Amino acid sequence: MRIVIAEDLLLLRDGLVRILTDTGHTVVAAVATAPELEEAVAEHRPDLSIVDVRLPPGFRDEGLRAALAIRRRAPKTPILILSQYVERVYAAELIADGNGAVGYLLKDRVTALDEFLDAIDRVAAGGTAMDPEVVRQLFARNNRDQGVATLTAREREVLGLVAQGLSNSAICAELVLAPASVEKHIGNILAKLELPLADDTHRRVRAVLAYLNH
Amino acid sequence: MFHRGVRALAYLLTSLVLGPATFVWAVVTTLVSGVLSFTYLAPPTFLTVTWVTRWIARLERLRAALVLGKAIEAPYPPLPAGNPWVRGRALVREPATWRDLAWLLLLFPLGLAGALSGVVVAVVDLATIVAPVWLWSVPNPYLPPIVDWLFNTTGGRFVLTALGLALAPTAWWLVTGVAGVQARVAAALLEPGPRLRLARRARELASTRRRVVDAQAAELRRIERDLHDGAQARIVAAGMTLALADRKMRLSGQPARDDVSTARRQLDEALAELRRLVRGIHPPILTDRGLAAALAALAGDAPLPVEIHAGDLGEPAPAVESAAYFVTAEALANAVKHAAATTCTITLTREADVLTVEIHDDGRGGADASGSGLDGLRRRVEALDGTITVTSPVGGPTIVHTELPCAL
Repeated sequence: MRIVIAEDLLLLRDGLVRILTDTGHTVVAAVATAPELEEAVAEHRPDLSIVDVRLPPGFRDEGLRAALAIRRRAPKTPILILSQYVERVYAAELIADGNGAVGYLLKDRVTALDEFLDAIDRVAAGGTAMDPEVVRQLFARNNRDQGVATLTAREREVLGLVAQGLSNSAICAELVLAPASVEKHIGNILAKLELPLADDTHRRVRAVLAYLNH
Repeated sequence: MFHRGVRALAYLLTSLVLGPATFVWAVVTTLVSGVLSFTYLAPPTFLTVTWVTRWIARLERLRAALVLGKAIEAPYPPLPAGNPWVRGRALVREPATWRDLAWLLLLFPLGLAGALSGVVVAVVDLATIVAPVWLWSVPNPYLPPIVDWLFNTTGGRFVLTALGLALAPTAWWLVTGVAGVQARVAAALLEPGPRLRLARRARELASTRRRVVDAQAAELRRIERDLHDGAQARIVAAGMTLALADRKMRLSGQPARDDVSTARRQLDEALAELRRLVRGIHPPILTDRGLAAALAALAGDAPLPVEIHAGDLGEPAPAVESAAYFVTAEALANAVKHAAATTCTITLTREADVLTVEIHDDGRGGADASGSGLDGLRRRVEALDGTITVTSPVGGPTIVHTELPCAL
């Protein structure tokens, strides 16, 4: 996969480049600022951009803003936002366009290498990768929600994984469940939250995130 | 000492001359304003009259300041904007206006009394001292025997000089005393009243408080940035390195020693970073051992010889100790970084309820007293009602003098 990285801290930029190179990807550009990111994406048309939220010159959320701008110009450009903190609001802004191919992860997740590699594959393929912490914040915000309140503990667990963007098979592996029972849980969840049944994982994630974030 | 006597005498003499004039001014203008007060013209007239009165009051403040040896603040709050009628009415309601007038009236009798006692005493004493020079020109044959001898013989006149000199301290004391009393009455009437003083103090407190809150917010932002870019990033990097090591081991079955030692180094750096940050927030030794020991440690770490003179400091409040510590740290850092100093002296004294810290370096001076580092510290010091003065002429030396009240 051809990847562009935007990260201002040299230490972390190098770490990311090493990890991605070691795992068979090609880093076509590793830049430190938001304008450079926009240029690199326009020039290389990468399969994925990995972007730090906080970038120079302002050290606020320039990375996120640049990502949103890139996706306004070219929707469905796959972008994975990495950050040392997560904000539900930022996640909401990322998924708002409904196009998928976005991710929002804590930088710590990079160290769980297999899951991280899985997440970048998912985003590059048009899916979604939401940090468990974002999902936790979404749940915390919806703890009085009528629909969510009717879910069983197991169904909540499954909903959390769906919201992170995991496919059915990944959920099976994660919870050590049979595919049939995962499908049953998901069917129940969608029914209780009155969400449309969708075979497409991506559309299902978007619906769930939109529901949790409403 | 002699100067004080001369100033006191000058004050009493000018009071004698000014008293009648200010009295007439005050009476006439008050009468005119009173008469006009029923007409449309009253506010503008009052505005004009008060403008002049305030100039006279300003002069009076300067005269009294000369005797008291300290400046007397003007008590006037800003006038509201608007036409002369609005402003005139505001002046009528302003207590300072009436206190000024009271002094202008009082100056006459007080000046007269002061001159009668002080000036007469001074003149008589001076005349006695210089008796041999003039007394021969006014012979007076009708004097009682002893006085006759004193006045009409050369020897007697020199005895008079001796007497005059012996009484001079008493005369001096009397003159400065009378002038002092007069000037203190003037100051009491012409300086801000208790209400205005409190209002000013409240304004001052509100502004220092706002600056403190700003400084604190800026400080928290700085700490967040330092953590985000420093320790936190290093820990994440160490995690990445370990993840790669883990993967290599899984693929090859060989332990990845290089990666593991890299990760260890990154964690060490993260810890060092955290320690540096913690020290910048509140140095642990300050908590453990107090100010003198913390400053000694600071001096020991400095790349130039630092001499510390510390008296008995008692136990200042933690906020005071912390402010004193960081002022010293900043001054030392500046001495090294900007002034290229070769030695530095820190003097700590505690007198009653004031802790004084003075940092003196032999560098090239020319420090910008409003520089950002010192500015943050200034806010911190002002929040404790302290003061910080930086004297740094080009060519040096630089002296940072801080006074911190310990009783709050």
